[in-house]
Amino acid sequence: MEDSISGIVLLISFSLLLGALVLAFYRLLKGPSINDRITAMDLIASVVMGFVLVYSVLINQSVYFDIPVIISLISFFGTVAVSTYLKHKNG
Amino acid sequence: MDKIIISGLILAGSFFILVAAIGLVRFPDLFSRLHAGTKAPSFGILLIVLGVCLYFNTPVIYLKGFFILIFIYLTAPLAAHAISRSFKQKD
Amino acid sequence: MMKRAYYLVTFIVFYLYKLIEANFYIAWDILTPKMNSHPVFMEIPLTLTTNLGLLLYSNLLSMTPGSLSMDISPDRKKLKVHVLYFTTEEEMMREFMNIQQKIKRITG
Repeated sequence: MEDSISGIVLLISFSLLLGALVLAFYRLLKGPSINDRITAMDLIASVVMGFVLVYSVLINQSVYFDIPVIISLISFFGTVAVSTYLKHKNG
Repeated sequence: MDKIIISGLILAGSFFILVAAIGLVRFPDLFSRLHAGTKAPSFGILLIVLGVCLYFNTPVIYLKGFFILIFIYLTAPLAAHAISRSFKQKD
Repeated sequence: MMKRAYYLVTFIVFYLYKLIEANFYIAWDILTPKMNSHPVFMEIPLTLTTNLGLLLYSNLLSMTPGSLSMDISPDRKKLKVHVLYFTTEEEMMREFMNIQQKIKRITG
């Protein structure tokens, strides 16, 4: 455990990300329009990417670094898909 | 010395994602929320990815981190554009 | 050729500087209790014509402090931008034109 990051730092980082998740979830539940909810979903994808990255440092496994690549692609496609659906539904 | 830099990067990244979530809750209308939801999470992910890359420190990890950053920075403005377009269509 | 490479390097440094400035600006505004945002829509006349130039320009505008590129007119003459911290028309327009000039020197 000589060259690993101290657990306190990772714990604080997890708490900050958890706070972000809770606030984004509040906006997801409350958001007046559907577009607010899509924005919140986009932010939640970023938060999950941060979780996975910090967790990969915690357990010292570099394999976990593949997951954020996939999440970044899927979240983009999801956002564009829902937006396009809304545009066609309304217009 | 390395540990201090990596810890600082990870903490700063989590902090910026939390700032984005606070902004998402505090701003009054959709377009201002999009401002908070586009810039800050991308910057937070950039800092966390830099920290994790420095932590593992192998060439493959640097390549994957570069891919993540390219995806995020190409797709975040596009996602914001799609969301705003679908909102404008409504009224 | 050398001149274009020099412009490219200065543009990348400029982009990174703008990125960091934008994030600290918006973080400061979110975390202080009084929010001095004044959102407004603006239309910028475009002088860029290439696809790459337009992509770079709208991307950079989305990442600079307080502006988010929204829509481009079908004939590629105007770009609609949402500005969060509006000061005066001339000042904002000078800043946008300055960035556009920088990109025009790279992509031609």
